[in-house]
Amino acid sequence: ALFAGSRLLKGYRGGHVVIRFALGGCTNRPFFRIVAAHSRRARDGKYLEQLGCLDPLPNAHGERVAGLNLERLRHWLGCGAQLSRPAEKLLGLAGFLPLHPMTVTGAERLRRRRAQEAAAPAADSSVGPADAP
Amino acid sequence: EGKTAKPSFGDEAVQSLLYKMTGLNLQKVFRPVKKELKPPKYKLMTEAQLEEATRKAIEEAKEKLIMPPVLKEREPIDDVLAEDKFLEGTETTKYVFTDLTYSIPHRERFIVVREPNGVLRKATWEERDRMIQIFFPKEGRRVIPPVLFKDEHLGTVFRQDRHEDILNMCIAQFEPDSPDYIRVHHRTYDDIEKDAKYDLLRSTRHFGGMVWYLVNRKKTDGLLIDMINRDLLDDATSLITLYHMLHPECLSAKAAKEGKLQGVDLIKVFVKTESQKESYIQLALQAYEEAMATSTAS
Repeated sequence: ALFAGSRLLKGYRGGHVVIRFALGGCTNRPFFRIVAAHSRRARDGKYLEQLGCLDPLPNAHGERVAGLNLERLRHWLGCGAQLSRPAEKLLGLAGFLPLHPMTVTGAERLRRRRAQEAAAPAADSSVGPADAP
Repeated sequence: EGKTAKPSFGDEAVQSLLYKMTGLNLQKVFRPVKKELKPPKYKLMTEAQLEEATRKAIEEAKEKLIMPPVLKEREPIDDVLAEDKFLEGTETTKYVFTDLTYSIPHRERFIVVREPNGVLRKATWEERDRMIQIFFPKEGRRVIPPVLFKDEHLGTVFRQDRHEDILNMCIAQFEPDSPDYIRVHHRTYDDIEKDAKYDLLRSTRHFGGMVWYLVNRKKTDGLLIDMINRDLLDDATSLITLYHMLHPECLSAKAAKEGKLQGVDLIKVFVKTESQKESYIQLALQAYEEAMATSTAS
């Protein structure tokens, strides 16, 4: 049909291939598909190829399951695809790429905040008005 | 060298002996499996066509009787790929990453686990089997093994005499070198040997594995009695030959090699030296010989 053709063959100006997460699933039940798509496409729209999936909720055995098609990932990376930050972080955790610096920084910040929170209530209880953190 | 080394399950001589003992009861092999009901089809054939059909049926039966492999239990995997201790405390649950490349065999697939304490390790065998079943499902296999395979429920199965069904389910569910597969098989063989229900497995592909298990543990007496009672003297002699191949240092093996005994004499020597239930076997042999005498006389 004529009207379907104009919607399907969308031409973009600029843009590049990215490997990112496409959100699916239902209310309060997310599910990500790791997808190679044009950067200008909708997040959940038409993609070039699905390269894997990630289930962010833990299963009965307490693990978050992720599948990655490494062979096709290597192909798209070789074609010059870019990665979104969560995709980079996930691949760093998987061991395919080196660990993302923001993962390390995030861990540091979390540890520092937890240490301060542990120190602050102790200081609050011993001394009345607490100093600026 | 090759001959002095212990013979394994896959050797040609061993396989041929086990295959002879399995028997080829076409009625049992092609026993109707529960499928959807269809009206039976009748064909009109000449004698030659009937022979041809029987020959084809025998070939198909041989395919169905190929024995599943008997392997040693697999070593647990504990291989750490990376240790990043500073990640400790960021996550609460572990991540399991599976490589979904279609063209690599399942044994070589990368399945890694990132623990909450930051260590990146290879997945254990159970995790591997589960992940492979999730992403590449196989017919007849479930992600979590059915409760039926636990020891307390196996007893119910054995009481209903469904050893063959549980062994088929076990082959579908587990890998041949997993500890669960080996445990279920050994339990089944022990129960059969305890109640002398050898005929349940006789024309199936599990018979060879059972005989291998019994011969390795020297519990062959019940099987021998059963064979003599059913007048399967050839099977009895092949059983004893297999026993001698696996335990060449026992007395009856040496006696057999010196005297080059055949048939009933071999059984008698074996009974005198190696068996625990000597009296029972002697009784069975006597009954067999009397039956032979009366049949040849009449």
